[in-house]
Amino acid sequence: MEELFYHEKGLFLQKLHPAASLAYICTLLVLTLIFTNPFYLAGLFFCTGLSVWMLEGLETWELFLKGGLFMTVPIMIINPLVSKAGATILWRGPSLPVFGEITVSMEAVFYGAVMSLRLLDVISIFCLYNIMVHPDKAMNMLERFAFKSALVLSLATRMFPAMIRHLENIKEIQLVRGVDFSGGTFKQKINKYTNLIYILLLSSLEDSMEIAEAMHARAFGSGRRTRYVRDSIKPADSVCLAAAAAALLTGAWGTVKGYGVMNFYPRLGPAYSRGDMRMLALLLSMLSIPSLLSWGWRYCRYFR
Amino acid sequence: MAYTIVAALVLAVMFLSFERGKATSKEVALVAVMSAAAAMGRVVFAALPNVQATTFIAMVSGYVMGPESGFMVGAAAALVSNFFMGQGPWTPWQMLAWGLAGASAGLIKRIFPGIGRLGMTFYCLLWGYFFGWIMNLWYWSSFVRPLNINAFIAACISSIWFDSFHAAGNAILYYYFGEGFIKVLKRFYRRMKVTVRYE
Repeated sequence: MEELFYHEKGLFLQKLHPAASLAYICTLLVLTLIFTNPFYLAGLFFCTGLSVWMLEGLETWELFLKGGLFMTVPIMIINPLVSKAGATILWRGPSLPVFGEITVSMEAVFYGAVMSLRLLDVISIFCLYNIMVHPDKAMNMLERFAFKSALVLSLATRMFPAMIRHLENIKEIQLVRGVDFSGGTFKQKINKYTNLIYILLLSSLEDSMEIAEAMHARAFGSGRRTRYVRDSIKPADSVCLAAAAAALLTGAWGTVKGYGVMNFYPRLGPAYSRGDMRMLALLLSMLSIPSLLSWGWRYCRYFR
Repeated sequence: MAYTIVAALVLAVMFLSFERGKATSKEVALVAVMSAAAAMGRVVFAALPNVQATTFIAMVSGYVMGPESGFMVGAAAALVSNFFMGQGPWTPWQMLAWGLAGASAGLIKRIFPGIGRLGMTFYCLLWGYFFGWIMNLWYWSSFVRPLNINAFIAACISSIWFDSFHAAGNAILYYYFGEGFIKVLKRFYRRMKVTVRYE
């Protein structure tokens, strides 16, 4: 808990300009939220997985997917139970207050399965974000638009591990004094843990005054900020940015033209057509560019 | 997707309002410390099922420092704690829910200055459920169709035990420790406002 979730490994995708990384991740996320065709969602899952693999994050991805699978259970249950729009009824259940007669249709079951895939996609994209973008880089982007908010976030991010260490010290002192954190009733446990926060809060508030004085001494609030850390945009960043922008525009155009969108109700519409597959292949080739560059960067010296 | 955009807009407006405010170095430092403490609230009570001291600390901060700072404390706590625990699709909604909890505590103090200990305890209890319902919103809006009230109720029913533990934890924390926390924070907040000029 004292370490950031992000770990610097010096990989190509981690070295990208934050604007390029965020554009790529946002494109994946937007496309996941606009497409309903399971082939498209599976394709995006594959692309995300490819990037995760290039970032050597398969173990982290596994953890995220395990949590995600647990979260798909209510989707698989709620959709069939509340949707009455499906025409192919598989089971008729009792009538419940508020919900009326319970019917489970094949379309609703299929919709629940596709939405579970979408949830796994979304979770995988956030997993990618966690291992790809350093929080400081994201914060540097934010501070141009919202300096004070970025400062609050940076300070709190720095204080969090220090507070955890401080908390451990306080806990040890309490243990030496005979406080048993594992014993007692629920109320007694809450009392013990709250005392920990109380002591921590008092010492941290004192620290905040020192931080404020240090900020004041460095001319905080005296006018506009004059120094920023700038990341330079390299050719590889431009390629990734262009690939993300092209994929986003192609995806948006495709959705308007009816590609990537599947009808579920009242009867399942077709998920497969030649046009759809061509569009999917085009999108996947664009979205795979950062991973291909990463592969090239590792194995081919001409890419460096 | 529309709900996600609305959530992002609310977050942007609230961050902008903090940005436009005249926060001094002391206020920025205090908000940062309270955010880190609120983030710690997720760690300290990890052993107790869904007792989230983050909600309590965000609400106490909002009550003392006002809605804008309260929102910042709640939203920053969610973001910062997830830098260490892992960001997920839940992060923006946690930021929104904890931010609104902090902001609403500031507003309730302005609307009902004499709300008292019992009133605030009840309000903290309610926020245990509000938090759960806001978190259910992203789940419901992104993965359930048709988007009707029955589906939302079903989502809320599925999370009622978690929400109840959260609500009970909030109420217990505020009832027993809220006044003490407020007293300490008020003292520091007053210290923050003091400026000494030498002539």
